[in-house]
Amino acid sequence: MTTASARRARGRLFYAAVLTPTLLALAVLAALVLDVLGDSVSWQVVEPAGSGSSFSVAEGFRFTGTWERVVRLELAARGESAEEVDALLANSEERRIFAARNRVELMWAVDGQPLRWVVTSSRDKLISDHALVAGARERKALLAELRPGQHLYLNQWLDGSIFGRNTSRSPLVAGLAPALLGSLWVMALVILIAVPLGAAAAIYLEEYSQDTWAARAIEVNLRNLAGVPSIVYGILGLAVFVRFMRLGPVVLAAALTLALLVVPVVVIAAREAIRAVPDSMRQAAYGLGATKSQVAFRVVLPAALSSIVTGVILAVARAVGETAPLLLIGAAAFVPGLPSSPMSQYTVLPVQIYSWVGENNPEFAHVASAGIVVLLCVLALLYGVAFWLRRKFERRW
Amino acid sequence: MSQVLPDDHETVRTDPVAAEDAVVEIDSFSLWYGDFKALKGVSLTVPRNSVTALIGASGCGKSTLLRSINRMNDLVEGVRTAGRVRYEGEELYGAGVDPVEVRRRVGMVFQKPNPFPKSIHDNVAFGPRLAGRRFDLGAVIERALKDAALWEEVKDKLQGSAFGLSGGQQQRLCIARALATEPQVLLMDEPTSALDPIATDKIERLIAELKGRYTVIIVTHNMQQAGRVSDRTAFMHLGTLVEEGPTDQMFTAPRHELTERYVSGRFG
Repeated sequence: MTTASARRARGRLFYAAVLTPTLLALAVLAALVLDVLGDSVSWQVVEPAGSGSSFSVAEGFRFTGTWERVVRLELAARGESAEEVDALLANSEERRIFAARNRVELMWAVDGQPLRWVVTSSRDKLISDHALVAGARERKALLAELRPGQHLYLNQWLDGSIFGRNTSRSPLVAGLAPALLGSLWVMALVILIAVPLGAAAAIYLEEYSQDTWAARAIEVNLRNLAGVPSIVYGILGLAVFVRFMRLGPVVLAAALTLALLVVPVVVIAAREAIRAVPDSMRQAAYGLGATKSQVAFRVVLPAALSSIVTGVILAVARAVGETAPLLLIGAAAFVPGLPSSPMSQYTVLPVQIYSWVGENNPEFAHVASAGIVVLLCVLALLYGVAFWLRRKFERRW
Repeated sequence: MSQVLPDDHETVRTDPVAAEDAVVEIDSFSLWYGDFKALKGVSLTVPRNSVTALIGASGCGKSTLLRSINRMNDLVEGVRTAGRVRYEGEELYGAGVDPVEVRRRVGMVFQKPNPFPKSIHDNVAFGPRLAGRRFDLGAVIERALKDAALWEEVKDKLQGSAFGLSGGQQQRLCIARALATEPQVLLMDEPTSALDPIATDKIERLIAELKGRYTVIIVTHNMQQAGRVSDRTAFMHLGTLVEEGPTDQMFTAPRHELTERYVSGRFG
C-alpha cells in the first residue's frame, strides 16, 4: 500500500539522485574552467637584470628610442645605410616583432640572418610566479619582500597579442597564431571533405539503396566506425596519407585523417535528418513529376540541410579537439611559419597546448592555460553556431 | 460490410459518359500489391471539365485507383498492373511510357497540406522548374495562385515561407503548385480531411471554379462533400467499382444494394 506521501518521498529521492550528480558535474566543470582562467593570469616578481651584451638596455622596452639606438648601432656595424635602417624601422611588422620580444630578448633579423642577441629588459629575471588568487592574497607580503629594483606585476598571459604572436621557446612571447590558423585550416578542409562525402553517403543509404546484405554491411560498419578510438585513425592516416600517398606531415594529411574520423558521425546525423523529412514531402515532389534524384537533391536534401549542418558542426567540434591522431601524423610542436596552404606544415591548438604542458619552464603552464581558454572558446563558438542554426531553421512539418 | 463481389462484377452504370467527352479512360484495370489484388478490373470514364468523386469505405481501393491515373503506385515496391488507362487518348501503361512524364502532366493534391519548406514562390515554381522552365516564372505563378484563389492573400509575401500560411491556405498553395504545371486533370486525395469547416468550404468552392478549366477527380470520405462538389460519383467496394453515375442519381436513387446501403450511412 503506497500512500501519497510515500510516493512523494520516493519522487524526491529520485529527483535528488538525478539532480545531485548533474549539479556536481556542473560545479566541477565550472571549477575547471575557473581554474584554467585563473592560471592564464599570474603575479610575477621580476628583477631587471643587465646582460653581458654591450647593447643591453637596463631601462627596458618602455624607451623605444633606446631600442632604436641599439638596432641602429647594430645595423650600422653591419654596414647598412641610414636609409635602409629607417625603412626597416618604419615597417610596422618588424616593429611588432620587436615589441613582442623586447621584454626578454631581441633577435633582430635582417634578411633572415640573426644579427645579434640582445638580452635586456627591465624584467629579465623571474624571481617568483604566483597564481592569481594566491598572489592576490599574499600581495602585501610579496610587496614587502621586494628587493630594490624588483617589482611585482600581474601578467595577463591571455591578451590580444597572443593571437598575433608566433610560437617561441620563450613563454613570454609564445603565441597562438600558428596553432589557431592551423586549426582553422584543418577545420575548413575537414568540412569541405566530410560534408559532401557524408551527405552523399546518407542520401544514397536513405533514398537509393535497397535492403541488401551490402547495405546492411555498410550500415553496421558505419556504426562501428563511429566508435573506433581516434588514435586508430591516426595510425591509418600515417600509413595511408602521410606515407603511402607521400603527403608528409601537412595540413591536408591531417584534414583527411580527421575527415575519416568525422564522416561516420556525419553520415549517421545526416541519415537521421533525412529520415525526419516527412514522406509527404517526397510524395508531393513525385506527384509534380520529379525524378528520384530531383526528389533527393531538390526536396529532401534542402529540407534536411540545417540538421545535417548542425550534426556536421558537432562532429567537427569533436575533431577540433582531437590530439592523438594528429600527434601520430606529425603535427609539429614548433612550426617556423604560419600555414599558408594545404601542403604547409602545421600545428593545431590541442597539440600546441599538449607540447606547452610538457615544457620544463613552469611559465609555459600559463601559456598552456591561455591556449586552453582559446580552445574552449572555439568549441563554445562552434556549439553556439550549431545551436543557433538549429533554432533558426527549426521545422514544424 | 464484408460482402465480396465477384471479380467479374459488371459495374452498374447510369447515364454512361460518351467516349468523345472522355479525358481519362480506365479500362479493365487491375492492380496487385504483391499478392494482394487491390483493384479488380475497374473500368471508368471521366468526362472533361467535370468533377468526379470516388467514394467507398476505407481500403476499398479508391486512393489506389486515383494514384493509378498518374502512376504514383509505381513508387510502391512489388506493384503489378493489368488493363489500360488512357489520358487524352494516350496509353499511360504502354511500353516505354515514363511515369515521371505522366506525373508532370497530371496534377495531384494530397490529404495533408504538404508544401515544401521553401518560399511560397518557390513552392509554386517547383513544377515548372522541374520541366526546365527558367524564365517568366512570375506569370505562371501568378496565374496558378489566382486559379487556386490564393493570389490576393499571398501576393505581398511571395518570398515568405509556405509554413507561415494557415492549413487551408497551405492546401490551396498545394493546389496552385499542382496547377502550375498546367495539367489537364487534377487528382485530389481527400484534400480537406485535415482542414477545418471554413477552410473546407473554401476548397470546395475552389473545386467548383476549377471545373471550368480542369477535370477534377476527388477521393472523399465525406458523403456530403461528394454530393456538394461532384457531377459524377463512383462507388467502390473491396477493389471493385460497384456503381457509377451522376451524383444526384447516386445519392437519391442508387441502383445497387451496396451503394444504397453505403450512401444511406448503413456501413462504411
